[in-house]
Amino acid sequence: MLIQTTQLRKDVQTTDGILHILQPIDLQIAAGETVAIVGASGSGKSTLLSLLAGLDLASSGDVLIDNEKLSELDEEQRAKLRADKIGFIFQSFLLIPSLTALENVMLPAELAGNRQAEQQARELLGKVGLSERLTHYPNQLSGGEQQRVAIARAFVGTPKILFADEPTGNLDAVTGQKVEDLLFQMNQESGTTLVMVTHDSDLAARCHRVMRMDAGRLIEVQQHVA
Amino acid sequence: MWHKISWRLLRHELQRGELTIMAAAIVLSVTAVLSLSLFTERLQAGLLARSAEFLAADRVLSSRRVIEDSWLEAAAERNVSSARRVVFNSMAFAGDQLALIDVKAVSDGYPLRGELKTALQPFGEDQVTTGLPASGEAWVASALFQELQLGIGDSLDVGEKTFTVTRVLTYEPDAGFSVFTDSPNVLINYVDLAATGLIQLGSRVRWNVLFAGDEAALADFESWLLPQLNDDTHSWRSVEDGDSPLARSLQRAERFMLLASLLGVVLAATAVAVAAQRYCQRNYDAVAIIKTMGGSRSQIQAIFIMHLLLLTLISVAVGLLLGYLLQAWVIEVVAEQLGATLPAATLKPYLLASATGLISALMFSLYPLLRLIQIPPLRVLNRDMTGNDSLSWLHWLASGGTIYALLVIYSQQWLLSSALFAGGALAAVLLLSIGRVFIRVSRQAGMQAGSAWRLAMAGLQRRAKANSVQMLSFSTAIMLLLLVLALRNELLADWERQLPADAPNYFIINVDRGDVASLQQRFAERDIIANDMYPIVPGRMTAVNGVPVRDEVTKEDETGNEQTGEQREGFGRELQLTWRDTLPPNNVLSAGQWWGADAEPQVSIEAEVAKRMRLGIGDVLEFNIGGNVFEVPITSVRQVNWGTLQPNFYFVFNPQTLSDFPATFISSFNLPTDRKNELFELFRPFPQVSLLDLDAITEQIREVIAQVSLAIGFVLVLVLIAGGLVLLAQVQASLEERQKELVILRTLGAPAKLLSRSITYEFLILGAISGLIATFAMELALWILQTQVFEMAATLHWRFWLIGPLAGAIVVGVLGRLSCGRLIRRNTAQLIRSLA
Repeated sequence: MLIQTTQLRKDVQTTDGILHILQPIDLQIAAGETVAIVGASGSGKSTLLSLLAGLDLASSGDVLIDNEKLSELDEEQRAKLRADKIGFIFQSFLLIPSLTALENVMLPAELAGNRQAEQQARELLGKVGLSERLTHYPNQLSGGEQQRVAIARAFVGTPKILFADEPTGNLDAVTGQKVEDLLFQMNQESGTTLVMVTHDSDLAARCHRVMRMDAGRLIEVQQHVA
Repeated sequence: MWHKISWRLLRHELQRGELTIMAAAIVLSVTAVLSLSLFTERLQAGLLARSAEFLAADRVLSSRRVIEDSWLEAAAERNVSSARRVVFNSMAFAGDQLALIDVKAVSDGYPLRGELKTALQPFGEDQVTTGLPASGEAWVASALFQELQLGIGDSLDVGEKTFTVTRVLTYEPDAGFSVFTDSPNVLINYVDLAATGLIQLGSRVRWNVLFAGDEAALADFESWLLPQLNDDTHSWRSVEDGDSPLARSLQRAERFMLLASLLGVVLAATAVAVAAQRYCQRNYDAVAIIKTMGGSRSQIQAIFIMHLLLLTLISVAVGLLLGYLLQAWVIEVVAEQLGATLPAATLKPYLLASATGLISALMFSLYPLLRLIQIPPLRVLNRDMTGNDSLSWLHWLASGGTIYALLVIYSQQWLLSSALFAGGALAAVLLLSIGRVFIRVSRQAGMQAGSAWRLAMAGLQRRAKANSVQMLSFSTAIMLLLLVLALRNELLADWERQLPADAPNYFIINVDRGDVASLQQRFAERDIIANDMYPIVPGRMTAVNGVPVRDEVTKEDETGNEQTGEQREGFGRELQLTWRDTLPPNNVLSAGQWWGADAEPQVSIEAEVAKRMRLGIGDVLEFNIGGNVFEVPITSVRQVNWGTLQPNFYFVFNPQTLSDFPATFISSFNLPTDRKNELFELFRPFPQVSLLDLDAITEQIREVIAQVSLAIGFVLVLVLIAGGLVLLAQVQASLEERQKELVILRTLGAPAKLLSRSITYEFLILGAISGLIATFAMELALWILQTQVFEMAATLHWRFWLIGPLAGAIVVGVLGRLSCGRLIRRNTAQLIRSLA
């Protein structure tokens, strides 16, 4: 298993007492799988995503990524793990506004010390159809274009896992559809494991597996065979 | 790799204008410090050089005994040049005529500063003269030519030596300005001094050595010399000492420049502080993204520290260049206006400016940078995460420490820096609390107002904490601006009072008692503004509380015995005493009481003399006037404004004490230059009256004041820019917070007009309250400064109570409205996306 959780919990202390955001969750995702996590707002989707990606720490239980226990890694080691194995796509794109499209895509590769960063970034931007927009800043690009840059950035380190948080949530239907197609196409080509949080049932339906979060519990609702 | 990322971020951000405020703040702090310190250093050096001419040297050592050659040799070893000067009274004989003269014997090199002028014929055209009278020759002031009916080439006997008169002495830089030096000068060479046989035990002589050199050499020499001096025997003077109107104007100007520069530095540093905070906040997202992408903590540290360092270095370099150009331009204007060249500056201002830029940028960014590096990667999913602020004490410590360090570095005065800093800190706490109270009160007032007002008030209240910090920097900036402005006005007005257009330009002395009334009548007839007539009675102070004062060189002095503590040094000369029934104008009683009409004999003493001679109310002084010895108690102490061109006195007696002694009268008056031809007619009936022309000295003072006023104007502009930058940086910093609210209100359908009004009102109120607080703080600060630093009378500035709040409201309102305008014009979708 590439991603595995055992009795994963997340609690937060509030003025009204302890709030259980995630009830104990056991989950296994194999390499190459595409998984959609759906659910209402506040159901705990994003929290689960942040724990799986090592952006946040669980209250108890464990996450194993490629056989590495996240709870045993410190922040630096988790960053290293993300640099080596994980890519991200966010609803709000999260490009650095003062870097050009090309530089935004190069960034993760450069941080990982990759000397071919620029070369790879150019190729990926070509693949997402933005060869003409290399020197544009994020605010000079449309929403769809920004998300395509983000997709290129997510793939630049050839990650084993791609986490996507509402990747089409900020886009209109037509643009969303195009970005969606691009995401699945690139994912397929690179054989990356995709874990996606979404509201969009059509988008979810394109994944191998769909899980639903409900009040902190995870229920598997659908399983397709690719 | 990280340095590439860092450089790339910096380059793009600079191009896109995202770092403008931070860069501008650093550039400005460097520019301000550099141009101010370069300018003040050069101006000061120029003024000092000018003033040094009045001493004919940079420093003068005056002694009651002959000064050993070894001291002059020690000076030479330290690259300080020296010359001897001895001045004493004597009689001069030419044929069967005799006259009282001042003999000045000087050695080679005299004058070390300034120039001598001589003429070849009495009343002939004079020219700058180098060199000195040769042995056996004397240069003689033109008045003596008349008195002794001398001609060039005639002989003049002084003591046992006969001199040949070879030139007419028309100008000596160190002639001094005293209405009472009415005996003409004779300049001889020091080598002839002994031959006159006039200097003997008991002679009343001051032995002077003049010194000149560059400041470092002088400082070196001073540190060697000063410990060897004896307070009773020696006095050490520089241009800045003394009571001359010039010295006082200079001192005040210097203090003002120092203070204004300090305030400018604090303002510029505040701008850097505000900008640094915002600089780091802007990068929160970038750090979270980089961390999410797997960037390690050390990579992020390296990227942002290098980013900040590069930004700082570039800004410092630009600041240095701008500061240099600005100062060069101002100097050129000054030089052109005043026809003077100013000496070049040292390296110190450059170091000082660079240090200011570096220290303030790095220290103020320290804490925001720490927070920035600690931003959790989770921020990519939860945009409200800003890391912990448990280290905020570090921020206050670093910022406070930096401001204090800057004050000390800049002023090199612990006391002034500590006082300013403590005052500032106290004011900050006060301002913060007052600000919050104001906001709370205005919220209640706002509940009754229209909707835009209500929204504005609610906004103020909601952001009370952020707003009170903002208000602190608004108030500080406005206060410092008002302070510099008010001080400048006070200073200029004070000088204006000292040297009004109708300031006296002539002194008259030797007016007979019988002529006083008719002379005053003639002044009145011709509309000439004259000061009161002051009687002059020459006399000596001979004892204090029954103990004689030391007035002459005694045997003990020669053998170097220590003085008994009781005995005070007298004046060593005849004093000009006066009597009066009312306190002279421009004098202020600092102790005791002025006498009534029929009081017992008593005397009022000038404050500085009282201090120097350790005299106070109740001490009994003995005077000897023409053999008539009497005692009087001191009943009051007066502060005298020596800057006024009116007769001023150390000792003023009540009429009962002195009015029976024979006296002559003196006064001063103003006669416009174009009416000079009336002088002859005016004084024809009074042939014994002597007239002294003051135009030269007043011109000199005016010139200095003009230079200094220009400098002050320059400082004011810099401080204004610094203040404006603080305001702008602060408004900018508050924008992000407001953005969220705007989105919500816009989404809920609030019309743009309502929003723009409510924002404008919010800033208007903020500005007005800040302005009001600032005015209050300014009055307090000004009161302390005027009474403690500038020795001026404290005044209230009613105009500023209107200007402060009004200017605050307008400036902050306009800046706020302009900065938020962009936000309001954006459509809701754009706003939401920018926040998402």
